[in-house]
Amino acid sequence: MITSALLGVQVANGLAVGALYALMAFGLSIIKGLLNVPNFAHGALFLVGAYVAWAVSGGSGSFWLGLLAAAAATALLGMAIERLLVRRLHRGAYLFQLLLLFGTALVMEQTVIAIWGGLGRSMSPPPWLTGAVDLGFSPFPRYLLFIVVAAAVVIAAVWALIERTWIGARIRAGIERPEMAQSLGIDVEALVTAAFALGAGLAGLAGALAAPLTGLSVTMGTDMLAIALVVVVLGGLGSIYGGVLAGLLVGVVQSLAALWVPQASTVVIYAAMILVLAVRPQGLLGER
Amino acid sequence: MTRSRMVGLGVLAGSILVAPALLSFSTASELLIFGLAAAAAYPVIGVGGLFSFGQAALFGIGGYTGGWLMAHAALPLLWPLLAGAAAAGLFATAMGAMCVRRSSIYFIMLTFAFNQLVYYAIYSWRGVTGGQDGLADIARPARLLPYLPGVNLDRPVNFYVLVAVIVFGCFLLLLRIVDSPLGRVLDAAKQNARRAAAIGYDIHRAQTLAFALSGVFSGIAGVLYAMLYWIMPIDAVAWVNSGNLVFMVLIGGLGSIFGAPIGAAVFILLQDSLSLVWDRWPLLFGLIVIGVVLFLQGGVLELGGMLRPALRRASGADAP
Repeated sequence: MITSALLGVQVANGLAVGALYALMAFGLSIIKGLLNVPNFAHGALFLVGAYVAWAVSGGSGSFWLGLLAAAAATALLGMAIERLLVRRLHRGAYLFQLLLLFGTALVMEQTVIAIWGGLGRSMSPPPWLTGAVDLGFSPFPRYLLFIVVAAAVVIAAVWALIERTWIGARIRAGIERPEMAQSLGIDVEALVTAAFALGAGLAGLAGALAAPLTGLSVTMGTDMLAIALVVVVLGGLGSIYGGVLAGLLVGVVQSLAALWVPQASTVVIYAAMILVLAVRPQGLLGER
Repeated sequence: MTRSRMVGLGVLAGSILVAPALLSFSTASELLIFGLAAAAAYPVIGVGGLFSFGQAALFGIGGYTGGWLMAHAALPLLWPLLAGAAAAGLFATAMGAMCVRRSSIYFIMLTFAFNQLVYYAIYSWRGVTGGQDGLADIARPARLLPYLPGVNLDRPVNFYVLVAVIVFGCFLLLLRIVDSPLGRVLDAAKQNARRAAAIGYDIHRAQTLAFALSGVFSGIAGVLYAMLYWIMPIDAVAWVNSGNLVFMVLIGGLGSIFGAPIGAAVFILLQDSLSLVWDRWPLLFGLIVIGVVLFLQGGVLELGGMLRPALRRASGADAP
């Protein structure tokens, strides 16, 4: 029997998961915008973020420190990957960039297993985030609400950075016309590094936020990468923000699908993606 | 057929004959099966320049379809083989038709998404596929073709001969496809899609056809793989396996289809030896992938090309 309370919890759950998808897709879009390559290491960065948050918050007892450490560690990793590896390849050598990122993802995933073991872990949210808020028609678990709010704040901050600041104007110029931006004296190379670090940091943060929600497992990165790529495709060509909308949508659809077809809720997402692309090939907010 | 093709085929045939002397039958069989899977990816990745990260899905659909038939019905091998090839071919056609219209980066992401669609479908459909435990209890058929006397495929040497014949035959067909007018159109579309279209070629149709053919041969490789260990593991469908197949094509050399079996051999032997060294061998493998991409983009065939002049000089035969 599907009651309105159950429905409400599933929608809340979907929004929280969707907020994580949105963070992942946002990071992927930023990297893709400047580097023009899908970051196949994005899932591994998500995984690293989750484990770093688990280890740091477990060790220090501070949930916030865990979040911060996860975002900082993955941003640094992203910077290193771009500076030391991706930069050595020609722009536009897709296959080589992809394989490079594929190799990097393998190394990161296996390093996590080597350090922390292949077993799953669980992480509990801090005490002040347990329990639920009553929204009147349905309860909304506090931690889920926290994820939605945290993701919204971060996405809004990055939005403001890109749309409203001096650096953001340069990032947008670098995405739209890299050669022109370069010839106007903008250091596009530095922007690419910054964008990679930013995107990677968002992935790490998403991993840290996900850890108390879903628990930790070594396959969480791969699963997340696959869905995040779908979300970017659904969001649309050339649209950084389409992914945010698509992420929330996919989260809610997946969560509701779990009520009716519990085993196939992930398959439903991919089927939905194929359906949307058949009807609207440019994606939800895509142009062209 | 050019002289270099004849030499390549000769070397391939020779290697197939010699392999069992150096490796176990099962390793040699696995090597040939992945050689076929990589060669099947070549028309799309190497000739067409379409970087498909959905090859494991095709391999897996073939393996699960053929494997299910072999687990549930005592049919001659012909039928599971055809069913696997047809299922993978049909799926590849649908996947290709939807993907080839997208520009490069979205193409990659879409093929990846198709791969995950298949992965989760197989994962969720536990009653039929065995879910995350894989499809078990696959029996190698007692007969190859209807009305013919039986053959004991559970003997490793018989199975190896069967795999060798099928793989070599498929490789000949794939070579024919690469050299065919279809191959030329794919190559033209890779070099300049607009010009190729302007000349009047329907490049999307050619690319979809390449996908379909790639699916058929990947499916055959999948069915053989399902027989190899009497089980179809779900890992074979995971995206990592798609990445591995792309890597095999690359490490062998993107310039020739003969690189595909070489790449598969390098991969399988690397995997076998690394896994003896350390449980976390994929970490070492990842480092090797990074190294190859940064320093050896032409693959093993290019390495051979770089060494040849040096060898000639050493032997003094290159005195003009």
